[in-house]
Amino acid sequence: MSYKCSRCKRDVQLDEYGGVRCPYCGHRVLLKERSRDVKEVDAH
Amino acid sequence: MTEEYDVEFVETGDRKARFLVRGVTPAFANGLRRAMVADVPTMAIDEVRFIENSSVMFDEQLALRLGLVPLTTPPEGEFVDGDTVTLSIDVEGPGTAYSGDLVSSDSLVQPAEDNVPIIDLKDDQRLEAEADALIERGKDHAKHQGGVAVGYRHLQRVEVEGDLPEFEDERSQIVRGVIEDDGELVPTSEFDDDLSNRYPGKEVSVEDVPNAFVFHVETDGSFTVDELVTRAVESLEARATELEEAVQL
Amino acid sequence: MMVPVRCFTCGNVVAEHWEEFDERANDGDEDPEAVLDELGVERYCCRRMLVSHRDLVDVVSPYQ
Repeated sequence: MSYKCSRCKRDVQLDEYGGVRCPYCGHRVLLKERSRDVKEVDAH
Repeated sequence: MTEEYDVEFVETGDRKARFLVRGVTPAFANGLRRAMVADVPTMAIDEVRFIENSSVMFDEQLALRLGLVPLTTPPEGEFVDGDTVTLSIDVEGPGTAYSGDLVSSDSLVQPAEDNVPIIDLKDDQRLEAEADALIERGKDHAKHQGGVAVGYRHLQRVEVEGDLPEFEDERSQIVRGVIEDDGELVPTSEFDDDLSNRYPGKEVSVEDVPNAFVFHVETDGSFTVDELVTRAVESLEARATELEEAVQL
Repeated sequence: MMVPVRCFTCGNVVAEHWEEFDERANDGDEDPEAVLDELGVERYCCRRMLVSHRDLVDVVSPYQ
């Protein structure tokens, strides 16, 4: 899973033990990045 | 129909027209209106594949907007139900992505309108998507509806009965549509929809002309009014033929 | 957020007129009624689409 720290804007990889926290600045708000997959949507 | 019918244009344009049809039944007039709205197939985007969308709107919202953009519909016979055309869009901010930025794989199917804003993009935002357009009918989804604000009114005949009594106040008499005055067709907008402007000091009577209908037809740009009406008539005819064959003993 | 592409009621495409309408009637000081007449937006269902619209992209974009 790739996240982005909302304070320092750096990419963050979360592991099982680290908890939700940016390893660079300690900020606890992380934003989930959009996946690179092509998303198919119906135009209804 | 056994009765003779007759068509007369009141107002003509590419996307908007008014015409008078005489000698058709109310049922036929309504059938024609319904065919124009729901039975003439047009192209519209139906599925969108988002490669990148960092704009402020969701993929689904943008897909809906792209679907509503009118596309030019190819001549009859070029496409059948289920055929698709691919269009792509790739715009980087700052700037606005317009319907004109859609690049089509088929020159017959193009955005009918180039200035429809799809989404405003800020710095570093980007929209890259690929869309499939397909040909369907208005009854499947309103975006496939070629006719916009299609309707009809009775033609109205106005006759001068005589002068107003001497001391009577002139009252406005509002009529909308097209009137027939001694065989001459006059849209009511010419006298501000008020008969007292056209016949000051006169007493007039207004009555519907039987089996004469004034159609008002507009299109969304998919094709011209001419084409819409002809295709609607063809679809009515095809269905009538189908019915005739089906009920034969 | 962005102007509706079509009129909700009749399905006429109105978004193509938005930028000019916004420039002349909202940012400028022209009479909205006159601008709409000139743009050929006739019916009141289509007119309310432009008159009552407020662009929100600039409002929400800082929170991306």
